[in-house]
Amino acid sequence: MANEFMEHALNQNRRRFLSKLSLGLGSVALGSLLVPDLLKGIGGDDDFGFTPGIPHFAPKAQRVIYLFQNGAPSQLESFDYKPKLREMWGQELPASVRMGQRLTGMTSGQASFPLVGSFVDFKQYGQSGAWVSDLFPYTSKIVDDLCIVKSMYTEAINHDPALTFFQTGAQQGNRPSMGAWLSYGLGSENKNLPAFTVLLSRGKGVGQGVYSKLWTNGFLDSIHQGVQFSKGEEPVLYLNDQDGLSKAERRKMLDNLAEVNQLSYQEMGDPEINAKIQQYEMAYRMQTAIPEVTDISKESDDIIKMYGPDCLVPGTYAANCLLARKLSENGVRFVQLYHQGWDQHGNLPGDMRKQALDVDQASAALITDLKQRGLLDETLVIWGGEFGRTNYSQGALTKDNYGRDHHPRCFSIWMAGGGIKPGIVYGESDDFGYNIVKNPVHVHDFQATVLNQLGLDHEKLIYKHLGRRYRLTDVSGKVVKDILA
Amino acid sequence: MRNNLKGLAGNLLFALNTLILFLLVFESKILVPQWLQPIGRMHPLMLHFPIVILILSMALEFFRYKEEYGDQGFYKSFTSNLLLIGAISSAVTVIMGLFLAKEEGYSGSILQWHKWTGVSIVFIASLIYWYRDANWYKPRVAKGAALLTIFMLIAAGHYGAALTHGEDFVLGPVMSTEAEQIPIEEAAVYEHVVKPIFEAKCTSCHNTEKIKGELLLTDPEAIMKGGKTGKLIIPGKPELSLLLQRIHLPEEDKKHMPPKGKVQLTEQETLLLHLWVKANADFKKKVVELPENDSLRIIAASFLKPAVNEDRYDFAAADDNTVKKLSNDYRVILPLAKESPALKVNLYNPAVYTPKAIEELAAIKEQVISLSLNKMPVTDAELKTIAQFTNLRHLNLNFTDVTGKGLQYLAPLKYLKSLSLAGTKVSYNNLSQLSAIKSLKQVAIWNTSITSAETKQLDKAHKGITFIAGYKDDGKPIKLNPPQLKSNGFIIQNSLPADSLGIKHPIKGVEIRYTTDGSEPDSVSALLEKGVHFTKNTTLKMKAFKRGWLSSQVVTADLFKGIYKPDSLAVLTTIAMSYNNGKKRLIDGQLGGMDVNSDSWLGLQGNTELAFFFDKPVTLSSILFHSITVGLFGKRPPEIVEVWGGANKSQMQLLSTVKPQLAPGENRPSFITVVECKLKPKKIAYLHIKTKSAAIFLVDEIFFN
Repeated sequence: MANEFMEHALNQNRRRFLSKLSLGLGSVALGSLLVPDLLKGIGGDDDFGFTPGIPHFAPKAQRVIYLFQNGAPSQLESFDYKPKLREMWGQELPASVRMGQRLTGMTSGQASFPLVGSFVDFKQYGQSGAWVSDLFPYTSKIVDDLCIVKSMYTEAINHDPALTFFQTGAQQGNRPSMGAWLSYGLGSENKNLPAFTVLLSRGKGVGQGVYSKLWTNGFLDSIHQGVQFSKGEEPVLYLNDQDGLSKAERRKMLDNLAEVNQLSYQEMGDPEINAKIQQYEMAYRMQTAIPEVTDISKESDDIIKMYGPDCLVPGTYAANCLLARKLSENGVRFVQLYHQGWDQHGNLPGDMRKQALDVDQASAALITDLKQRGLLDETLVIWGGEFGRTNYSQGALTKDNYGRDHHPRCFSIWMAGGGIKPGIVYGESDDFGYNIVKNPVHVHDFQATVLNQLGLDHEKLIYKHLGRRYRLTDVSGKVVKDILA
Repeated sequence: MRNNLKGLAGNLLFALNTLILFLLVFESKILVPQWLQPIGRMHPLMLHFPIVILILSMALEFFRYKEEYGDQGFYKSFTSNLLLIGAISSAVTVIMGLFLAKEEGYSGSILQWHKWTGVSIVFIASLIYWYRDANWYKPRVAKGAALLTIFMLIAAGHYGAALTHGEDFVLGPVMSTEAEQIPIEEAAVYEHVVKPIFEAKCTSCHNTEKIKGELLLTDPEAIMKGGKTGKLIIPGKPELSLLLQRIHLPEEDKKHMPPKGKVQLTEQETLLLHLWVKANADFKKKVVELPENDSLRIIAASFLKPAVNEDRYDFAAADDNTVKKLSNDYRVILPLAKESPALKVNLYNPAVYTPKAIEELAAIKEQVISLSLNKMPVTDAELKTIAQFTNLRHLNLNFTDVTGKGLQYLAPLKYLKSLSLAGTKVSYNNLSQLSAIKSLKQVAIWNTSITSAETKQLDKAHKGITFIAGYKDDGKPIKLNPPQLKSNGFIIQNSLPADSLGIKHPIKGVEIRYTTDGSEPDSVSALLEKGVHFTKNTTLKMKAFKRGWLSSQVVTADLFKGIYKPDSLAVLTTIAMSYNNGKKRLIDGQLGGMDVNSDSWLGLQGNTELAFFFDKPVTLSSILFHSITVGLFGKRPPEIVEVWGGANKSQMQLLSTVKPQLAPGENRPSFITVVECKLKPKKIAYLHIKTKSAAIFLVDEIFFN
């Protein structure tokens, strides 16, 4: 067994060495500074001239904050204004519009598909004249900072595959998450914090689970895994030293542990051992950095008023937005938020109002806050769910109540900052809000665009694993050049 | 014999020289017959011999007069023979070259330079051969002649290579191509898309130096004129245009362009040329002037960089070791991109900051284009150091200790684009100094003493700069968030003190007021504070108040009295799967909240029977089930509840039967339902509760009073 490990390590190093020869040693030396595992002998692929930690070209954005609205908010009650659906209230969805779209098990048995318009009104805002529903009064005030994409589409129709597709580029899971790819591609900006962090919150609506597979490193090195912050007194669990353990003792213990691990690495050659050593070191540095970054007690009254007083309640979406800004400001490459509760199969009018109330003010505040610090240009903020919702009612349609099922063919998200053109609305759906009629954006196109803004060519950000080359965008995806500033 | 051969070779050299002279003199009158063309075409093959042989021979010639070599017979004859071979081969090469030059397609100054340097090599080498043993041929002359020959060889080689491979062939890959990356708004279809394709794939043969097929592809006029075979382009008709016909011929075809072996056009490039010719081969049109969904526009756009106002960095890269030395846990230095000399520097952790952290960066002062000093205790003094970072584009001084006075030091930063001064002591008057920095586009001034009116003044005074004032509190009070509850239900055994409810509010100085009569609390309702006790079933309504804020929404908590606690219990039937969290949960005094998936809930389904035992008999008058109803998922109270009890096991009798009716609002997603069984007060030690339920009855606690 030990011999096999040894053989494995030797093979890797020989291949690595030969392929490295073609690359300027300078960039390797510099790269290894940023991504310590560069010379370790796994992954990466120099056929594509990629050095982990160094962007392919000058990036527009340095960091990403992804406000994931988990459960899929309805585009028809947020950004995609369809007066025709109100006119045709209760009428059957024409087969010419549905065009054989597969349905979920929740509505496939339904005898009729009555169209239903938004229960809230829409108005136009800003210089772009973007339509925004009355559920999002704060967002409507910042539309000139947003690029609203109304022509997103995906391949999955159920939450977990759709969510996994958005985050990892594949529906099945086990691939690295977008944040992990960025950590791999760009390295850390602040060595005292993880490059990829995850914040969860939950609304009052019907929730859908999120699982750690969504922030997995997949086949990338474990140091690229998302670090989930919890909402309690300790945002990062088990980070604090036990009572009575002094800093010096902790240091000594880590040094000794590293020594033992190093010996074990030399014997086994398993790169995970190295990752472990680095994680211990990172945790040690985080012990000082985290309390400072996560302390919201020193935020000014202005900030509390901007984000809403809920930002002081740990675990709320508002608090997570504030925390996201603080982490991002401190050089965390990718802050992933999930706000659960957007799955309005039934009772949409009541539940969606509550969900919107949870996220509207804080999302808008985050944009304003980044902007007023001069950080919006270098921070890409994304708001959106995993798919859209149907234009017909799920379950009984009554005068003031209805639900909407999953709809992958057309939905809306918005992006802001990070070199995305502000104040535009991109793409169009038909009068039924069902099919895209102009500028469709596939999930892989979206991912390619995000990587592009961070200075990475999605066709060159590649990792070789089990004999195959993998990309976040799998084998497709085009950068949506029309929305680049 | 050997001498005879050498003599013959010497005569041959003379004859060749004469032939060359003849060819040169009558160049314009000579027609190379077809059968001689292959000889001419062997010029690129032959030329390598004279180069190598003559260089070697000249090296030996250079050291010829050294004493230790001078008298060696072998050295003497070897150098002489080598030189002779070199001279002959160079003469043959030149003759071949002269033949080749007669073929169509070669002209221009590079050819002339190549021809004359090549010819002079033959003459010089021949002269050296003939006169190298003359008396006047001294070491100094020999060395000079050797150097001259080598120089000529290099020159001829260089011009020759430029002829075949095009100029800049060797350095092409490392020379900057960025100049071609024109933003899409400004790009013209011909100038920035078509022309670069011609330049990359065609003009190495169709240029002013080398006009193969009499076709010149370097300027619009010549392109439209076409070549020997005729017009190259028929506007609007790609299928009739020679350009595309030649491109589409099979690669093996002699007339296929680019010729076999040269770098071929990609499909994308071919398509682009096709579309361009189809769109009348316009030489002026800009990409953005085409209709948005025009194929030519879409394809052309893919050749262009997206519109960016890219910075170009033409300074040298920093030394890797210097960067490595300067990097540490709190000073992160990152390259902007691959092959870019630009660096970004971020400083973290104010606790370890000293001005030295910036001073040390002087070693990479040229390369730093972005510097983030967010929250570092940076003072005006350090701005003087920063002013030396001449290529700086982005400077983040948010929440530093700089004052407005220090801004004057930043004047030398002629590339500075964005400056962030949020949370600093800068004032309106200081900012006029910024007009010295012409490149400035954006200044963040949130959280400074600058007022809205002053911001407007700034906008007016500095036209090119956006001043970001950010959020300003408009003074209107906003709504407090509601008090935080650990749970919406509590149990009173005898008396429940208010502070054991664990009610908190995240904002300091907030008062929480409450009512117990169902009315909404107002600012004069009772204060929920230490010393308040609750003793009976109550619906508690609470609201947060604070001066300067609007009061919060109401939150409600139900307090349930549960005087008696059974000493043990037994489940006589089964509990619904996935809601079996242990029978003890029914009397543990913990309520489940609103989450059906929490482990407080027990699910009763079908006919169930629970038994409770009191060690000492108690007088019961009420039994209360605390349950949750979830309309959507079939969690609701049972159809019927029966309570049986008695002082001992054998004296059990039916005490109460309840058929719970659901309150209206059944469609709400989930809500707490209380099912109460009232009994005539009776001493009881044994109690059986039977339920019959089609759906799942979720209970987390039962109260006995």
